[in-house]
Amino acid sequence: MSREAFLARVQQAAEQGRAYRVSHQELPPQIGYVGAAGDLCEHMALEINAVGGAATLVDSLEQARAVLGAYLTEVAAKSALCWQHPLLDRLGVTSFLQERNIAQVNYEQTAALDQPARRLAQLAGDIGITSADIAVAETGTLLVCSRPGQERVASLLPPMHVAIIERSQIVPDLLDAFALLHDHGLDQLPSNIALITGPSKTGDIELQLTTGVHGPGKWRVIIIR
Amino acid sequence: MKSSSPVTETDYIRSTHREFLAAADKALRTPSLQIILGQLGDTLGERNRQAWQLLPNSDLVRQRARQIKDETLAHLHEHLQTLEKSVQQRGGQVHWADDGEAACQIIVDLIRQRGATRVVKSKSMTTEEIHLNPALTAAGIDTVETDLGEYIIQLAGHRPSHIVGPALHLSAAEVAEILSVPAGRKLAVEREVLAGFAREQLRQKFAEAEVGITGANFAVAETGTIVLVSNEGNARLTTALPKMHIAIMGMEKVIPRLADLPYFLKVLARAATGQKLSVYTSFITGARREGETDGAEEFHLVILDNGRSRILGSPLRESLFCIRCGACLNACPIYRSVGGHAYGGVYAGPIGAVLTPLYDGLAANQHLPHASSLCGACQAACPVKIQIPEMLVQLREQLHHEPALKSRWENFAYRMWAKTLRKPWLYRLTTWLATRTIGRWYRSNPWLKKLPGKLQGWTQKRDFPAPAAKRFRDWWDQEGRHES
Repeated sequence: MSREAFLARVQQAAEQGRAYRVSHQELPPQIGYVGAAGDLCEHMALEINAVGGAATLVDSLEQARAVLGAYLTEVAAKSALCWQHPLLDRLGVTSFLQERNIAQVNYEQTAALDQPARRLAQLAGDIGITSADIAVAETGTLLVCSRPGQERVASLLPPMHVAIIERSQIVPDLLDAFALLHDHGLDQLPSNIALITGPSKTGDIELQLTTGVHGPGKWRVIIIR
Repeated sequence: MKSSSPVTETDYIRSTHREFLAAADKALRTPSLQIILGQLGDTLGERNRQAWQLLPNSDLVRQRARQIKDETLAHLHEHLQTLEKSVQQRGGQVHWADDGEAACQIIVDLIRQRGATRVVKSKSMTTEEIHLNPALTAAGIDTVETDLGEYIIQLAGHRPSHIVGPALHLSAAEVAEILSVPAGRKLAVEREVLAGFAREQLRQKFAEAEVGITGANFAVAETGTIVLVSNEGNARLTTALPKMHIAIMGMEKVIPRLADLPYFLKVLARAATGQKLSVYTSFITGARREGETDGAEEFHLVILDNGRSRILGSPLRESLFCIRCGACLNACPIYRSVGGHAYGGVYAGPIGAVLTPLYDGLAANQHLPHASSLCGACQAACPVKIQIPEMLVQLREQLHHEPALKSRWENFAYRMWAKTLRKPWLYRLTTWLATRTIGRWYRSNPWLKKLPGKLQGWTQKRDFPAPAAKRFRDWWDQEGRHES
């Protein structure tokens, strides 16, 4: 009942309000498109560094593993939240972690657990290792979709988030990323998409930048050219 | 806390003209606050400008965002129905709330039905507007704000002083004092220590919470997607960990298409914090899907009117374009002097001076439309180019037509003024008298230091120019016309 009354009231107001519409102008379709000049990988890396992350450009999977190894050492990782993703498979993340005696927490292990136990395992992660669905060079943004095997918590709970991406995933502008989502079908939108642009930040105390308040304070991206 | 008087900062009060002046006066005498308010213009303002420069034709992008809002509002009822259908198709439920009280009741009922008692919230001005926290507390529901600034002011019992940075009125030392209470030890006055303590405390709360409550920066009608923008990541945690997610949105937050969204994202963070994009933008489309191990199992969307339909049909409809970025606060010379608490309502600054009278009643907030110099900085800073000064003037005009508010003294003065201007002989006589008396008395220093009676307010902080010793028409007759 209140729904009908609500909508009727809004309809009446919306129609009345048309008397006060603001003036419109014809806008070129490309308005708002910024894009990225030069090499997409380099531009992406530049932007990531500019927002307080750290990007490393590598030329091979071997080099990517070496960089990842250094990050694991940096946080003295005992357990890692991992996506299950083709790029991470090609990188051999599972065996890489095993060699270092680091517990891998991914979908296969946690799906079997009940919620409290799963949450405890996820909260204990020292590092989150993911890829991305799309990367945006203009802003240094990762677009990550949630689905079984691509948990939201991997890029969120641990103090360090490492994403490994490759050139084919990078688009110049946010508008390109939205076009891809469209092409994929709007009815196919996952339950959660996160755009990630930098380490977790706040300016809530005296307007001064403080990192790592809720999400990862350390944000690293390895870009395979 | 030394800088907080319980009357003006704890409770939502309607500030009166007198209270506004008192709070403004206090703010001007608080050096730590003045430093922060100054930075809103300097440091942050510079960051904003740089971010805008990196967006070619930024004015046209703002125009596009503005046009989308205008177009959407013209058919708002249709977009809301589309939104409802999309949310339901993805397993969510939609609730319609006529006012704040109804919205609070819906949310309390939903939490009770789930048998839950522990709630985490991510920052939402709409929940401030409907006074949700007191309603939850009264219902015995343990509610924790998780945005760092909101967490601090919740502990201190303050209300937000800025749309984006709710605790900006506090110095680091004051924050340390506030957080030291739950810590049970003296925390160092270092931002990293304080943020680290909050992270640790709130992680525990996130882990235990059964319900997450958020606002919505945007809601996409065609997909039923709720969009949340944050820098800390608390909005992501609030929607990823608890089993139930309740989002509340003012009905004007709907946008028709997903393709509309990037234009708003491109202007929102630039205007708010001088970033190209905020750190986290979450798109939540319904509850978690089969096989997923995080995200809420149950999703509810509460759509709030609370006076918005009244505004939608009025000349001040444009105020519904607001995307709550806070840019007009940072740009406003008044806000940057008096801070947020002087405004009394939930929304401070120039947009607050428009929204509070509209939501809460003009008569009760008659001083707010006057809390502006009409310099236009707010409109220039607004990412959707809302004509705030124009609206403030309209509100002032409405006040003038409000019979209950008319001051007999003021009416008398204006009537006399009108009469004088309508009759040339009376005008001539008046100016002749003024120049012959006051004009001549003050010939050497033509400034009045103190005006009599009701006019005293004007000269409290400045002088009033005295009439000239000679009328223009006399000068013209005697000298002016011969000079060329």
